[in-house]
Amino acid sequence: MNRRIFTAIAILIASGSLLMTNCQSDNKAKKNDDFTIPDSIFKDKPLMISKEAMNDIIDNMSSPVEMAALIKSTGVPFNQKFLASTSKVDNLDTDFKQALNLGIYGCDLGYLNMYEKTGSIISSMQAIKKLSDQLRIGHFFDFNTIKRLATNNENIDSLMYISVSSFNNMDEYLREHNRSDISSLLVTGMWIEGMYLACQVVKEKPNETLRERIGDSKIVLNDLLLILKNYKSNSAFANLVKEIEKIKKEYDNVTIIVKSGEPEMIEIDGMLMFQSHDEQIVDISDETLAKIIASIENTRSMIINL
Amino acid sequence: MKHALIIISTLLLSLTCNHALAQSDDLVNVCALGIGNATYLKDFKVKLPANTTTPQKLSVILTKGMIYKFVVCNAEGYEGKAVIQLSDAGNTLVSNLKADGSFVEAVGFSCQKTGMYNIFCSFKNNKEGAAVIIMSYITK
Repeated sequence: MNRRIFTAIAILIASGSLLMTNCQSDNKAKKNDDFTIPDSIFKDKPLMISKEAMNDIIDNMSSPVEMAALIKSTGVPFNQKFLASTSKVDNLDTDFKQALNLGIYGCDLGYLNMYEKTGSIISSMQAIKKLSDQLRIGHFFDFNTIKRLATNNENIDSLMYISVSSFNNMDEYLREHNRSDISSLLVTGMWIEGMYLACQVVKEKPNETLRERIGDSKIVLNDLLLILKNYKSNSAFANLVKEIEKIKKEYDNVTIIVKSGEPEMIEIDGMLMFQSHDEQIVDISDETLAKIIASIENTRSMIINL
Repeated sequence: MKHALIIISTLLLSLTCNHALAQSDDLVNVCALGIGNATYLKDFKVKLPANTTTPQKLSVILTKGMIYKFVVCNAEGYEGKAVIQLSDAGNTLVSNLKADGSFVEAVGFSCQKTGMYNIFCSFKNNKEGAAVIIMSYITK
């Protein structure tokens, strides 16, 4: 019994020290970020939209996990070829390149997790670790736990939760510390890769649900452009805006019509469920879809070859 | 002994630096464990002082074909119980507060139209409160 108490006290002291160290290093990292990465674009130019509105838009962006879930629900098998190569990660030498590609790899991680391809997660993880460390947000990513869960093929739900919440925390931290420019790039990278994956699946095996999702992404695209345009005074951002505007141009031919339906409410296992019966019709021709796919591929290629 | 260790470790965590942050992150972790057969997407932290009459407005893009689940967890040490309302263009779709004044554990939304939706969060009887809302999706 004494031995157990002694062990318990030892664990407590150790975990207490560890917590203190973590907290201290976390504070140090935050302090460093405040000084070493000033949000110069914020200081030089006023934002076109308020910081609150921008936070709202970034919060709004749907998670890449949702696109991965939709892809998986179509029954299309996993395809390693769709994923971005991590071999060029060492060439990414600016915050701009690193943040965009971190978004790309983050989305790929969601795709890998969704298909439970835990064995392939490690190379993706190494790239994410490198880029997030370079952007000084690596402390939000619990690499060791993710690596352990992936290597041992343990609890996929936990793996998914830790991966997604780590990215959410990174994004939240960036915005809280006036680094919304980096956050907007992270979100853009994720969106482009999510769209790229959906486009590749549709090209390989036409699917009405995914085709519709590609079409209704028109709604998100406008918001994405709005936040990126805030930083157009930076030439790299200006080029990215031009690329995204090319995608938007192809979306001009997509029309979305919504017909309202009578909703119903049901209660299942303590959950009150609102069943909407609205009907959304996305009109997207084969030609327009092909053009959207081509423009997404071009932009994605530009990002991964920066 | 194992339970005691977990409890003491949790206490230790909340007493060290970043108290509020650590507490809200802890609540997110605990709340995310209770989402059942759903996959975590994001979380929202809401804290409102007493007598706040305007609910906090959060916005999310929801996608057609997805079934979303919103689970609310109230922080300990506050009287207020969070009331959430999922709304589309000003129309309340679903709330965790039932007409009889009782709460449901979670609310769900089967989305048939991609677009921006709002989540309004307040605390019952305008009491001071802190809560975490976990947004997740259910696989069909």
